[in-house]
Amino acid sequence: MLDHCSIFHKGGLVLWSRSFTPAASQLATSTASPVNSLIRDALIEGRTADEKYEKDGYAVKWTFVNDLELIFVVAYQRILQLTYVDDLLAALKTLFVKLFEPFLATFVASLHAVNSKAVAVSNAASEATSWNFAKAFEGWDAVFDKLLRGLEEKAAVDRKSRLRPSTRPAIESPSTGSSDVDTAPTESSAIAIDEQQISRNVQALKNRLRGRGGRHGAKAMARTDSGSGRDSHPGSDSDTTVKRKTKGKTLRKWGDEAPTESDMASLDFSYDKLSDVEGYQGGSLDVQALVDEASLGTRTKDGLYEVKDWEFGKNASETDAAISEALSSTKTAQPAAASGSLGALGSIFARLTGSKVLTEDDLKPVLEAMKQHLMKKNVAKDIAEKVCEGVGESLVGKKVGGFQTTNAAVRQALSNSITRILTPKTSTDLLLSIRTKLSSPLASTQQRMPYSITFVGVNGVGKSTNLSKVCFWLIQNGFRVLIAACDTFRSGAVEQLRVHVRNLGMLGVNGAGDSKGRVELYERGYGKDAAGIAKEAIAYGRDNDFDVVLIDTAGRMQDNEPLMRALAKLVSVNNPDKILFVGEALVGNEAVDQLTKFDRALRDFSSSGAVGKGRGIDGMLVTKWDTVDDKVGAALSMTYVTGQPIVFVGTGQTYTDLRQLRVANVVQAILSD
Amino acid sequence: MEQPAATPEVVAAVAPVSISPQLLVASLVVALLLIGFWFRRNSSVRGNAIVFVGPPDAGKTALLSTLAYKQTLPSHTSLQTNTSVLSLSNKKSVFLVDIPGHPRIRDQFLDHLPDAKAVVFVVDASTVSRNGAAVAEHLHKVLHALTTIPPSQSTPTLLVLAHKSDLLKTGAASAAASADQLAINRAKSVLERELDKRRASQSGAVGMEGLGAEGEETSEMGGLECSGPSGGVFKFAEWEGGEIEFLGTSVRIGGGVEDEKSSGGPGLSALSQWLEDLP
Repeated sequence: MLDHCSIFHKGGLVLWSRSFTPAASQLATSTASPVNSLIRDALIEGRTADEKYEKDGYAVKWTFVNDLELIFVVAYQRILQLTYVDDLLAALKTLFVKLFEPFLATFVASLHAVNSKAVAVSNAASEATSWNFAKAFEGWDAVFDKLLRGLEEKAAVDRKSRLRPSTRPAIESPSTGSSDVDTAPTESSAIAIDEQQISRNVQALKNRLRGRGGRHGAKAMARTDSGSGRDSHPGSDSDTTVKRKTKGKTLRKWGDEAPTESDMASLDFSYDKLSDVEGYQGGSLDVQALVDEASLGTRTKDGLYEVKDWEFGKNASETDAAISEALSSTKTAQPAAASGSLGALGSIFARLTGSKVLTEDDLKPVLEAMKQHLMKKNVAKDIAEKVCEGVGESLVGKKVGGFQTTNAAVRQALSNSITRILTPKTSTDLLLSIRTKLSSPLASTQQRMPYSITFVGVNGVGKSTNLSKVCFWLIQNGFRVLIAACDTFRSGAVEQLRVHVRNLGMLGVNGAGDSKGRVELYERGYGKDAAGIAKEAIAYGRDNDFDVVLIDTAGRMQDNEPLMRALAKLVSVNNPDKILFVGEALVGNEAVDQLTKFDRALRDFSSSGAVGKGRGIDGMLVTKWDTVDDKVGAALSMTYVTGQPIVFVGTGQTYTDLRQLRVANVVQAILSD
Repeated sequence: MEQPAATPEVVAAVAPVSISPQLLVASLVVALLLIGFWFRRNSSVRGNAIVFVGPPDAGKTALLSTLAYKQTLPSHTSLQTNTSVLSLSNKKSVFLVDIPGHPRIRDQFLDHLPDAKAVVFVVDASTVSRNGAAVAEHLHKVLHALTTIPPSQSTPTLLVLAHKSDLLKTGAASAAASADQLAINRAKSVLERELDKRRASQSGAVGMEGLGAEGEETSEMGGLECSGPSGGVFKFAEWEGGEIEFLGTSVRIGGGVEDEKSSGGPGLSALSQWLEDLP
């Protein structure tokens, strides 16, 4: 039922792997394996806060062991809903580490040879150890098989017991949800009789209704039973039902006769006898649990009892930050009595000797403080949570050594994570893409299609302004640009573009005024269909030898479905080379909503056309950057949501106010205080 | 008349300490030894690393495992850098540094450049014709970094490794040497073409400033200048940054190296030879 299971190091080397079908083993060794997709899409991007990863019909679950830098991965078919995978991963983790800890420690140390700098020592060590990986893990196969079989059997038993109470044959077994291991076995024997009864009744009913032999009904039931069971013993459900003990039938008591003595005793639910009360053991109640001694109020001189005052205490995060500050400040000095429990002392000494292991409790206050800091910098709340969760997951269990405090370790990990999210994974070099397309070989009868860029976004973010900035930049680089005015809704949109085209025509290349032919406007007035205008504009550009077509669309709210459909139609009809989402840097939590809905709407609605695979957003343009000085968290939210890079940044309202994003600056601005 | 006791006008600020000459010499020698040891230790670590870079799925981690552990372990996409020690036959030892190839984390190689003796750019020769543009972008970054090293540091040598040469179908079913050569030729031609496209698009481009303080470098990358008879078209042989060597290699996943003397298997013989020949 599992397809693939593997244990590997974060640096890429696989320590152990097992494929359960030949197809899976072939897929696992290719570059398109589900594990590789998991690493590329989820782990490197830093979206480790999501619990599951699904791709191509595979569902993949994983877990980390951070101090040994290992990752445990299990892949199975998505349509199977296996409940024991989480338990399997946890058990695998503990067993593997326990069994092979020394070998793993030396292996991991050998992969960080630069840090050790003890060249002579490591030379001797590497020659001594034989690095026979097969021999090192030889006992593991048997352990894994036993573990897997145990979990599968338990899951099969649970599933059968859950199948009992459902009426036949209509309802499928509830295959999701946790399996109550405790209650299942006792339940199954008690209701065995009902299930047989029910099946016989239904069979009789079917016979009566159909008027045929009961064979069809029985066969159908058996088939659906085994189909919905979906476990490794297909036909055994009906067999095992026969083996259950049948309870004898008891005579039903009606209310027309007086109850007997024993009946009355069994029907008496009053609390006369003290021993019937639950949890009452010989008269000693747990008084401590009822009252918290520390919160008792005070007695005044008159003997009146006054409640304690409500204290507007500091936020939890502030006190925790204060504690971590105290810990860090006393790391070298003698630990002051203020923080002076043995716990703090012990952790300081542990850190100095280089063996402090980060636990979740250590990390929680620091991560909470980091999350508040991110939110102060205008990162959306959900994104800040997910980023901090991902950082926490990658740090739990890691050894923090030397003079590095928990705060510093978390900050370093957070900086790495944010850099990773912001670094583009596709090329943002627009000039190169344009030139590549323009110089690509043509069929002899075809004319060269221009490179088309579409600007989408909600109302008022600056699409037209930034479109004209991009146009100015393209003109400076020697391209002929056509602007298609596909905003046919907002009054003045076409006139605005006309003014821009006039200005750009006057500016020209390096101030020369002879670039009249470099930029033109294609417009058809108001009220027409935007997709049709775009199509005609591209055709016009092709016929008149334009290099780039910039398509300006009307602003629309992300949950306005008819308008999103219209936009998707424009995309699917014209298939632009780049779809740029224009968003403003002032947006806060709205960014997440805007981008997810735009992306999803474009993908869903445009994939129904002839294009095949739906197009999503290809890049983003963040505007009004000059209005936020260092609260630039919107950039992080936007790249986290889509995974696409930020291509340009708009920093003003003149034609030269267009910049490229510099990841190091943004990371520094987000993390600065 | 009594002369007043002549009080010295100038009192010595520091009482003259009588240092014995032996003590002086000994402390000087110790100081010199310490300084010399510190410098030697630094230089022995610096400039001793071989950095493997390249696009994802090129085979860098498999190469490292073959060289370091004498067996080729299967691997997945790397999430972090691997470093290992390799002892060469002539009693020298080098650090092997394997940088992940994923675009989001591949800039880590800049941190290892100051320590690098050589940079090996690993290319998957069987798929380079399909994803040539992405590979060229990565190689462009590496070339740009090599040309912007300050003159005080020594520039590492660059080797382009056409890997997975055994996956190429050769016309004549002859020895592996022709497969390696074919891989080298294929990688060279594809990369030259793509890099020339990049050079052409950037030579006339009006770049855009990056965000941030004035005076920072612009985002456009140089590093592709060539001077030669081709009149500026990019060719590896004419690159201004230095000499680039090419080799073809292959490893087999799951294979081991039986021969203790060579540091790699039969597919890596060229690479092992090149490693031995490094200064």
